[in-house]
Amino acid sequence: MIQRLYAIVLKELRHILRDNQTLFIILAMPVIMMFLYGYALTMDIIDAPILIINPNHDAYVNELTARIDASAMFKVCGTIKSCSDIQAQFRRHHVKIICRFPASFSIDLNNGGTAAPVQVLIDGSDPNTAIILKNAFEGILSSITLDMMGIKPADIIIVNQRILYNQEQKSALFFVPGLMAIILLMISALLTSLTITREKELGTLEQLLVSPLHPFEIILGKIIPYVILSGIDGVLILITGNLAFGVNVAGSLTFLALTGTIYIFASLSIGMLISTVATTQQQAMMMVMPITMLPTIILSGFIFPLSSLPIALRLVSNIVPATWFLQIIRGIILKGTGIRELWLQMAILCGISFFLIAVSVKRFRGHL
Amino acid sequence: MSIVIVENLSKNYSGEHALRTVSFSVKKGTIYGIIGADGAGKTTLMRILTTLIPADSGTVSIMGYHFKKDVQSIRSSIGYMPQRFSLYQDLSVKENILFFADVFGISGTERKEGIQRLLSFSRLEKFKNRRAAHLSGGMKQKLALCCALIHKPQVLLLDEPTTGVDPVSRKEFSEILFDLKKQGITILVSTPYMDEADMCDELMIIHKGSVLRNGCPDSLKMDLPYRVYQVENRQQTVHCPPAVIKRKGIRMVYPSAGTIHVMADPEQINAEEVFEFTYAAFSGFETVKEVNPSIEDLFFYLVFSTDELKP
Repeated sequence: MIQRLYAIVLKELRHILRDNQTLFIILAMPVIMMFLYGYALTMDIIDAPILIINPNHDAYVNELTARIDASAMFKVCGTIKSCSDIQAQFRRHHVKIICRFPASFSIDLNNGGTAAPVQVLIDGSDPNTAIILKNAFEGILSSITLDMMGIKPADIIIVNQRILYNQEQKSALFFVPGLMAIILLMISALLTSLTITREKELGTLEQLLVSPLHPFEIILGKIIPYVILSGIDGVLILITGNLAFGVNVAGSLTFLALTGTIYIFASLSIGMLISTVATTQQQAMMMVMPITMLPTIILSGFIFPLSSLPIALRLVSNIVPATWFLQIIRGIILKGTGIRELWLQMAILCGISFFLIAVSVKRFRGHL
Repeated sequence: MSIVIVENLSKNYSGEHALRTVSFSVKKGTIYGIIGADGAGKTTLMRILTTLIPADSGTVSIMGYHFKKDVQSIRSSIGYMPQRFSLYQDLSVKENILFFADVFGISGTERKEGIQRLLSFSRLEKFKNRRAAHLSGGMKQKLALCCALIHKPQVLLLDEPTTGVDPVSRKEFSEILFDLKKQGITILVSTPYMDEADMCDELMIIHKGSVLRNGCPDSLKMDLPYRVYQVENRQQTVHCPPAVIKRKGIRMVYPSAGTIHVMADPEQINAEEVFEFTYAAFSGFETVKEVNPSIEDLFFYLVFSTDELKP
């Protein structure tokens, strides 16, 4: 049994090491995907373009404008005297916010008693961004104004707030652990789904079947090399996350490696199951995408919080391995959580892997 | 003593008969040929014998093992070489053999000696580090044979081992099979080449899933009730499509290795009349002579007479 398993593992490793294309996919893809997703998936708002309408060249407004421009979130892309067609500005230019100060702004402000009106128009075509912009702009505008007038807000309640685990609220800290889950799954499921179908296509399976090899040995022997490779990928992702996105692992690296291995097993067994069903490599590839990618990105809590899903989809999300691994990996990397809090998630992942491998072995027929 | 016994084997593929009630037995230590054209059912038969596909009805027994109950025993005691080259192209000759040695649980000195024995016996020693993808067709077949032999099987099943292989390699391959037979290995070999029939101790002619005849080649040739005349030209090959001739005494004409064979009924026509027919029918030939019937002649006779009966 050990010798037969060793034979399959050695053979698979040779296939991988001698196929430069596959090797490139395995080693370069995770890093490339980290950069692509890491930069594209950010929700941090930096330098949102803002247009200021300042009818009187009010010096007060000019000072305000300069301070808004100096903030990290907004960038003033122009100041104009008047504007007859606001919508044209949104359509024609890449403006996210238009802020119209009335001609009497500084008079209103220094009048005392009455509040000074300011019209703020926000591009709402992306509602999430619009809400973030609205809150941020409201805050920045009043705090700058108060500061310029030398007024301190009345102390009714003193809110001492501190955000834990991601103090600077960087999206990267949230996304990088999630990306690890997505990338590991994609690579593992895709590669394993191709291994058995490749042997079907090349006819080598015929020779393998007429041998004392048990389906379990063939399947386990094919999974082991990819566990090693996916492990290397996991390390590559962590290093990229650390160097490029400043993500540090708060918890234990050993524990992360252990849970990562369990997750890789689950991902590989999905690929294995696909490869016992598909007859050609192309078919396998077509199946991998909808079965792994979509549920993982949409239903696992990677982007959208699980609590915002409809109840039916929330049930489906329970059988997506990434759902559980995301809780584990975010816990370990951000909060430093350990086995005492995460044993349930680990047990579920183990259960999913064993179930899928058992089904694959059963589905893997001993004849053509 | 029969080492392979096949009884009433049938297999349908979506209503089409791939095999119908095929029965035969193979004696230990002999070479048994399964001869038929493409699509005759040779590969289906081989795959059922190797437990790769299930049969619809009938039984197979190999070395006393039942083909449904003792699948693992059959798989570990036979050597099989599929029709399509099914080794790993990106592994070297030695790595391929080693892989199968490990799969069959051969270890230690047995493993070392076995590989050495196979490499020298197949004359692949010089190429042992070459990747299988870079071997010629003949060398690939020899490598596949090595991999099928690594666990010293008592029964070897070869599915069209010489198809697509050059004549020199084919000759060499048949010599290797004789060597194996001397070692007491029973060999079942399928082939579409009729001229390979003579290396078999016994053979069957299979056509459209049915066994037309089986027996030893020499007695089978006696079954042909007609005489065979060979029309040839030494300078060039002569050719004609196979045809059944409805002329008194002449049964059929067909191409055979660059010559034309004319089959005639000796009770209705004599040699001179055959010569007259050939002079009138073909141009550009030099000689016409009567030849001893071969398995190919028998094959054409059997195929044409069955097809005539069942159009």
